[in-house]
Amino acid sequence: MGNFSTGRKIASFGSLILGLVLLIAGLALSITGAGDLILFTMNIGGKATPIIFGRGIMCVIGVILLIVGLYLFPTLKHHRAIINFIFLFPLLFAFLVTVIIPLFLGIGYSFTDWNGIKMTETVGFYNYTRMFKQPAFLWSILLTFLFVVFNMILVNLVAFLLALLCTSKIKGLGFFRAAYFLPNLIGGIVLGYIWQFIFSQVVTKFSGTYSMLSDTKTAFVAIIIVYIWQYAGYIMLIYITGLNTIPGDVLEASSIDGANAIQTLFNIKIPMIAPTITICTFLTLTSAFKQFDVNLALTGGKGSVQFLGSYIANGTEMLALNIYTTAVINNDYALGQAKAVLFFIILAVVSIIQVRISNKKEVEL
Amino acid sequence: MKKKLMSVLLAGTMVATLAACGTTGTTSTTTSDTAAQPEAQTETQTETQTETQTDTTATTEAAPAATETAEAGAVRLLNGKPEINDQMQALAAKYNEETGNTLVVETIGGDTNASDELKKMYQADNMPDIFVIEANQAANWDGMLADLAGEEWTNKTGFELTDASMGTIGFPYTVEATALGYNADILAAAGVDPASLTSPDAWKAACETLDSKKDELGITAVFGWCAEPTNLGWSSGTHVFGQYLDAGLKADDTTYIDLLNDGGKIDEARMKNFAEFIGMMNQYSDPALLIDGTYDNQVAGFKEGKYVFITQGNWCVTSPSDVSFECGFAPYAFEDGINTIIAGPPSYWVAYKDGNVDGAKAFFNWCAGDSAQNILVNDAGLVSPFDDCQYEAVNPFYKSMKSYIDAGNYSGWHTMLKKDGLQNQTCNVFADYAKGKLDADGFVSTMAQVISSYYAQ
Repeated sequence: MGNFSTGRKIASFGSLILGLVLLIAGLALSITGAGDLILFTMNIGGKATPIIFGRGIMCVIGVILLIVGLYLFPTLKHHRAIINFIFLFPLLFAFLVTVIIPLFLGIGYSFTDWNGIKMTETVGFYNYTRMFKQPAFLWSILLTFLFVVFNMILVNLVAFLLALLCTSKIKGLGFFRAAYFLPNLIGGIVLGYIWQFIFSQVVTKFSGTYSMLSDTKTAFVAIIIVYIWQYAGYIMLIYITGLNTIPGDVLEASSIDGANAIQTLFNIKIPMIAPTITICTFLTLTSAFKQFDVNLALTGGKGSVQFLGSYIANGTEMLALNIYTTAVINNDYALGQAKAVLFFIILAVVSIIQVRISNKKEVEL
Repeated sequence: MKKKLMSVLLAGTMVATLAACGTTGTTSTTTSDTAAQPEAQTETQTETQTETQTDTTATTEAAPAATETAEAGAVRLLNGKPEINDQMQALAAKYNEETGNTLVVETIGGDTNASDELKKMYQADNMPDIFVIEANQAANWDGMLADLAGEEWTNKTGFELTDASMGTIGFPYTVEATALGYNADILAAAGVDPASLTSPDAWKAACETLDSKKDELGITAVFGWCAEPTNLGWSSGTHVFGQYLDAGLKADDTTYIDLLNDGGKIDEARMKNFAEFIGMMNQYSDPALLIDGTYDNQVAGFKEGKYVFITQGNWCVTSPSDVSFECGFAPYAFEDGINTIIAGPPSYWVAYKDGNVDGAKAFFNWCAGDSAQNILVNDAGLVSPFDDCQYEAVNPFYKSMKSYIDAGNYSGWHTMLKKDGLQNQTCNVFADYAKGKLDADGFVSTMAQVISSYYAQ
């Protein structure tokens, strides 16, 4: 390994060391809250203006020097690995800053009495025990599971029927496909307000009663309807793709054998698109779990219900919205964080199961 | 080798430029902030280097052009009322013209809640010098607000916000009142004297009279009262509920709010009377508005003369051109002799302790003066909380408000001191009562249960 010049070695080690020093200094200034480094004070326009070597600039220069040092590192064996790392670094860094660090900070906050502004002490598992003592929160969990089950079945059913319709030989196929898919392009909040108007100003004109949204049970049905309306078009597209992959010769053979439309559907089409069904089931499952915007805009979680012997005022509030209200409206950020951690665990478990099952299916095919 | 070095250098320059661009972008939003922190506290000094505590980010030198625009002594104000943003900008211009000081007004608009935004600003170390809070939020900012006691303006008003641990912290910028707003022309036509409405029996008699003359008076219902919880929960859960806490009490009487904040207790006898009064309102309301209504429908109905009474405050009709009739307030007289409306500042401007406190104090003193009040009262349509203000507010409810305030018949906005988020619980009870799912006794017992369990969380 003697074929590297001394100059390169010096450049490499020099920039590594200098970069490390600058990075640590910059981070230390930020973490201790000491502020920026004043290099010297200059007289500009009669005023003494400090020339500042900012902690942010310090970190950025430090990181760049580290990268340069790594790039010039005198090795042939690991050079490829180093290059790979350097190219991956921006992505990893962004992932770290936006996902990993907040995740751990959030878990940390859930053990304190943070109120969004300051925290005075750590409270251990108090927030976790507290949240399970809230009937309102338990109701939210139950309601979310109910919502997920209803949606998983109904969205898939509706979407599959729409897909069958859109793969049949009717006129204006392109129009129907676009029309069914369109609601998915409207944001949930807007959709919620549109449907709120429909339920309280239009439907009431025909039904003669007050709005569906003003009663917990019917409001829950209303959320499901809106959600299906929004999501079925998207799932439909996936089913269409699935149905189109069924080889024509199989269908032809079955029709020659005298299978009618229903037999073709249950014995040929559905078994052939089994993997698509799995994908769609999990897509609806996870997205129904995370339901927030339609819930917020349509009912705001309001509605009363008798649950566990007490009157609960958040009859239509699902898990994600409950977390939001706890933290932001009720100003109980730490409790909201604790609930969010539980939410994360539930979603992680669901996702892991999803990945496992999808992988199995892929092997079978 | 040289080529490689060159490319690395080029890449490095690109990253640095990008970083610089990014940071310049952020400095422009915090422009005034950087200048507003002249008192860089030189705390930690070492032999060779001086580390200073500044509020500026590392990017001060990246945007020298931006910092030049704001002088030292500039004050940043976070305004929570988007509807008066233009007038606030005019106020800032006037302040600059008269005193040479700079006021930068930032407005939080629409559905974004100011206290929410403030938390983000606090986390980002980007606090404005003056911001808006509601009375019960003072505790969140404990130890972070400047004591304004002894300032000149405090002698001119009785509406400042005081806090047990921080002293005089809140500058009142407006007075708002809520009670049952009425349409005086319809009342006169029906032969009902609003001054007589100080007992439940008088109210009942008036409602019966008005209801029997519905067609003659051209009204849809007696009350424009909406208990819809999703969008109007703040109205029932905070304002109407506030009448239970304060109606009939002197402004500094905290009997029922103290009881409420003592673990969520309520006075059941008083709540029962209140429930019966609300029951009467439910009975004589427009059923379409009561359960499914919106704020717009409610206010429009009142402005068109479809409802005699409205359960809002002076904010619902701000300009004399909005209505063709005279407006006034009648008390929620759910017990004999209740003759007060709720009046006072619903929110306050406070000065951030680590911000430019002197600048904020100077601004407050100027703002209590004549030229500022001229803009706030005549242009923004606010009601002045200051005794020496010579401008009559243009608000159609002002005359009625003033007569209550002058006679001392006003109660406080203690409903703002209840636990955060309680209104989202109580508004559902109002809605269920309106739908007939609960009777008056059910309303009282459910209210008691909901409130105590919310406080117990």
